[in-house]
Amino acid sequence: MDTLLQILINGISTGAVYGLFALGYTLVFSVLGVINFAHGAVFTLGAYLTYLLVGGAVGSNGLLAGLQLPFALPFWAALPVAGLLTALVSLLVEATAFRPLRRHGAEPLLYLITSLGAGVILVNLLQILLGAEGYAMPTTALGSLPITLSLAGAQLRTVQLVLLVVAAVVLAVLSLWLEGSRGGKALQAVSEDATTARLLGIDSDAMIRLGFAVSGFLAGIAGGLVGLSLSITGPYFGISYGLKALGVLVLGGLGSVPGAVLAGLIVGGAEALVPGEWSGYKDAIAYAFLFAVLLLRPQGLLGRPQISKV
Amino acid sequence: MDATLLVQMLLGALLGLSVYLPLACGQLSLATPGFYAIGGTLAALLSTRVPALSGAAMAGEGGGGGVPIYPLSSLLLEMVLAALLCAVVAEGLGRLVLRLQGIYLTIATIALVEILRVVSLNLEITGGAVGIFAIPQPFAAPTGYALFCLALLVLVGWLCQRLAVTRPGLAMAAIRDDAIAAASSGIAIERWKRLAFVLSAVVAGVSGVVAAHFLNAWNPRLGNFDASITTLAFVVFGGSRTWLGPVVGGLALTALPELLRPVGDLRLIVFGLVILLGPSLFPQGLITPELLTSLASRLPRPLQRRLGMDRGASRNRRTPASDPPLAAPSSPGQAPAEVER
Repeated sequence: MDTLLQILINGISTGAVYGLFALGYTLVFSVLGVINFAHGAVFTLGAYLTYLLVGGAVGSNGLLAGLQLPFALPFWAALPVAGLLTALVSLLVEATAFRPLRRHGAEPLLYLITSLGAGVILVNLLQILLGAEGYAMPTTALGSLPITLSLAGAQLRTVQLVLLVVAAVVLAVLSLWLEGSRGGKALQAVSEDATTARLLGIDSDAMIRLGFAVSGFLAGIAGGLVGLSLSITGPYFGISYGLKALGVLVLGGLGSVPGAVLAGLIVGGAEALVPGEWSGYKDAIAYAFLFAVLLLRPQGLLGRPQISKV
Repeated sequence: MDATLLVQMLLGALLGLSVYLPLACGQLSLATPGFYAIGGTLAALLSTRVPALSGAAMAGEGGGGGVPIYPLSSLLLEMVLAALLCAVVAEGLGRLVLRLQGIYLTIATIALVEILRVVSLNLEITGGAVGIFAIPQPFAAPTGYALFCLALLVLVGWLCQRLAVTRPGLAMAAIRDDAIAAASSGIAIERWKRLAFVLSAVVAGVSGVVAAHFLNAWNPRLGNFDASITTLAFVVFGGSRTWLGPVVGGLALTALPELLRPVGDLRLIVFGLVILLGPSLFPQGLITPELLTSLASRLPRPLQRRLGMDRGASRNRRTPASDPPLAAPSSPGQAPAEVER
């Protein structure tokens, strides 16, 4: 029987990861005003890369059957490496799905289509290379940490605490960077008004690339964390997370950084509170919130109402 | 050609049209597989659970000792019910999200597809992950389905052609070109967007009904996110400037993987490449209005008039001779006309 504390920690840690993931969407949305639909696939890639880096072996289904890296990193080292690699892939997505269209000044609708295409290619490449089977992180990934911890009489999975701590650290660093550094401020300036930012000497193309790189890094980290706590159920698992994170995104308000985190915590908490016999419907909760917020407060919990000027 | 493949191609073309309709109004809806699934599940449930619908057939037309034939009237009834149900859902969703930026429709349609998938996976009545089997057959052979789907496609195509040269279609084109300019010219943009979305839902739902009977079984996988990608690829490949584009895209891209069986695993990668590279390399798709105009100009005059092509062509030359004037942003010199009320 789970205690309330357990449920709470589970909810918050899942929610924090949703927040990380939704923030990746937010960064790209704020600089370009479009949603990057390849984000879920980058998340999946992050989970697989983390799995490989901690010494996991590829199963027998894909082209790379039996592959295992000659080294095994501890989880705390594998996660940022995976994040850096997914940041590179995210830049590749930007270069193929976004930049060519930006050159022609194409309508925003087309970015949705091309980024969906990039995501589909990534996911199916993973399926061909690594097979469709599920993977669970090796139990040695967390080193000597015990599987459960006792806290105030409740048994907590260590994994959940790791999720919570990593997500909190990343979120804190990210907000410090956005508010305090030159790069972060430049990114905010571009998201406020790209033309004015360019007139003030900010290279908005570079900022867009930076937005994609950071967003890819966040997706990779979120993927690695979810892979650790739940196991990777196949190349498609990131898609359902990616779609769910869209719900989180709208709930928090498109483009709002604190909104994304708050909405992540709400959805994570609500999912943790779903009783066992209804668990099949858990995946639909984020969308129920989405429709509720569209009905009651379309700009999202912490978003600003949108006014388009001509 | 194999009639089974032909049916799949025709269904693909219908789904392509369902994605095209909102796109023609500047909206990206990924809900086509969702409405397809609503239609399919409804047909599967009604035809297997309601004896009255197939009852008459058991006694009468099932002669010859073969499998009893499901009455065509019941199929048509299912199609009407599916169309109504999909229209109601689309109208409700449209009212909710179409007052917002376009991106909200895309997200909400994804949410709809996912909710429907989760619900049908968990409900007992829809058979969970296994689905519903032994859906009765209104046609004895695939040829019957092929003719029926062809008739349906001709009907929907005719509707789209009418739409392209009449007021609603012109309003939709204006919204697609520039929604703000269209709104300030007195076009009720929300209403036309909603109409396009509802029509899209109806086409998908009706196709789902036919597909459920044709496939003989229905399961929630038929309406998943992959299907959204596939149908989107139809439109990007064929082109979304004319209704013939998605038809050609749907026919061709459904036939392609079947004809090239060996690529099996690569099918979705090919579709992914189409929608990744298509918009920047061939922004107009395969079938463009210019292509149609040049093809049409080679037809004999009387035939052109009969097909209504001269009207469509004249619109492309931006000389709206016979059409009621409607301020499109592409013709700023023209006085804005009252479109609404």
